[in-house]
Amino acid sequence: MSPVTPIEAYLAELEAALQVRGRVRRRFVRECRDHLADAAAGRGGQAAVRAFGPPADVAAAFDAEVAARRGVDATAAAVLGVLATGGSTLALIHAAAPQAVAPAGWAITFFVAAQVAAVAAALALGQALVLRREPMSPPALRLLARRNALALVAAGLTMFAAGAALPGHGSAALLLAGPLLVCVALGAVLRARSPARRLDAAGPAAVRPPLSDLRRLVPIPVPDVGPGRLLLVTTCLAAAGAFLRDRGEHATIAGALLTAGIEAAAVVACFVVLGRPLGLWHHRAAERAPGRRAA
Amino acid sequence: MLAGMRADLLRGHLDGLLLAVLADAPAHGYELGQRLAQRSGGELDVPEGSLYPALHRLERGGFVASAWRMDDGRRRRVYRLTRSGRRAVSASREEWRTFSSAVGRVLG
Repeated sequence: MSPVTPIEAYLAELEAALQVRGRVRRRFVRECRDHLADAAAGRGGQAAVRAFGPPADVAAAFDAEVAARRGVDATAAAVLGVLATGGSTLALIHAAAPQAVAPAGWAITFFVAAQVAAVAAALALGQALVLRREPMSPPALRLLARRNALALVAAGLTMFAAGAALPGHGSAALLLAGPLLVCVALGAVLRARSPARRLDAAGPAAVRPPLSDLRRLVPIPVPDVGPGRLLLVTTCLAAAGAFLRDRGEHATIAGALLTAGIEAAAVVACFVVLGRPLGLWHHRAAERAPGRRAA
Repeated sequence: MLAGMRADLLRGHLDGLLLAVLADAPAHGYELGQRLAQRSGGELDVPEGSLYPALHRLERGGFVASAWRMDDGRRRRVYRLTRSGRRAVSASREEWRTFSSAVGRVLG
């Protein structure tokens, strides 16, 4: 039996450390093998593997890169899934019986879930656009996966609430297109989240103020607003929007004020409950803890 | 301390350096490593394995494209700059000029 060369031993260690599977892994290992063969021809196998770096570090860097690529792809799929579900939901509403009146509970669920889906998808898209050409830390990748997953679940809930509130008959293809895309996108999101979790399962959660990404994407100046002020502005705008929408539909002032109040309460509740998973804010105690940082 | 600082600086500029050496001509990973070492006079000691995650990242960003090609009788993955990669090289040169001149003025 021929002895194992330093390059073979190195590649075996590298392959054992790599988490990703499939075509991208085969291409990477092949490139490393070619590189080491070239280097060994000039300076010997031992020197070639030494210059290549510790296999665990090389594997971790490559796993992180593949996870980042999958995260960006999954975000595109998630945004498409949310848009398609929006289309399917509109088709469902359009197909509802003309005299159908939605029960208040389902109507509130519908509006809140729709807004959560839109906000989570916008946050994920902004993050992915900013980081699509940069290295992504595992906490940032986990945050991206959470935002995508939340957007998809909320989009599904929006459609479910619409269906439960307004039963009717519509085109099966139109109605199924959204949920089908949501399922495909959810699979992509989970696939992207898995290597990020393996790379840094116990690491700190990322915090990414929404306006920081917007500032890098648009050429106009965007003010630096803290989470508290952002919540205040968003709540006022959402409540004013709800009031005007209801008044536009000929509701009484008292009825429109009630809708605006419900909207404001829903925005505050969503911010409190979903703010941390969406990376909008974190506890002050966590801010003081070492290692906690914005990704 | 200096070696650690140099490694940190390198990590932050590896993508720009790779794009710059790729601007000469398309090349496979090993050749790019050789160009980096040659053009820096051996001062930039990059772990060669870190070139590949960086090249894949540049490909994700659309700065480089790659394909398997026959080279010296062997099949290798050859990278080339895209149009957006060329723009990134110019931007990265400009950014470095501004940064290095500012640091130079402070350090004296």
